[in-house]
Amino acid sequence: MSRSTSREVISVLEAIVTLIRGVGFALIVLGGIASLISAIGFHRFKNFYLRLHALTVGTIWGCVYPLVGAALFTITFEELGAYRWFVAGVSFVTALIVLMLAPAGSHAIARGVHKSKTARVQPCLADLLDKDLCG
Amino acid sequence: MLELILIVLILYAVAIALFSIIALRGPTIGDQVLAIDAITYATVVLIVLSSIYFKEPTLSVVAIPLALWIYALDIYVAKYLERGDLGA
Repeated sequence: MSRSTSREVISVLEAIVTLIRGVGFALIVLGGIASLISAIGFHRFKNFYLRLHALTVGTIWGCVYPLVGAALFTITFEELGAYRWFVAGVSFVTALIVLMLAPAGSHAIARGVHKSKTARVQPCLADLLDKDLCG
Repeated sequence: MLELILIVLILYAVAIALFSIIALRGPTIGDQVLAIDAITYATVVLIVLSSIYFKEPTLSVVAIPLALWIYALDIYVAKYLERGDLGA
């Protein structure tokens, strides 16, 4: 391989590294903004069943995506040394765990609250499962 | 680059402060559990980001047990609300 082609290969690799780092960083910033939106939504929504929506915004946009972004960012973050693979693996596995367990948990808590009639459906249009909870 | 991560850390800290108001005060027990869920998910990301910011890789070990623990809290509270006891 001549010297000019190897230089081209190196520049392409550097471009790929910059792309990975930029995508990871964009996901991290997006997660911070989404988490703040979710926190505001918790205060603005009127009842429990609407607050579930704010929770899921904070779960998927505010936890799974920034963890994937942190994994992509640490792969290209040379200052951590060889431990950067460790941090990237931990954050990727945590993102997978949250992606699987968070929807199951929020479904379980919504079902439990609705069956035990703990929270009423306060501005109510229709509740087909239990008409007593409406209004 | 790291300064922007510090800004995102501050965003998460503000979000956790807003969640904890609901967690302490919330109208029903369901709202409190939802807020504790959201606090834990934000804390997981906070831990991973601070392990990047402070360049301490061993900080990020705690993230997996936290993400697993909050699912157990959801299931236990849902079971307690539905049946009146935790069962076996």
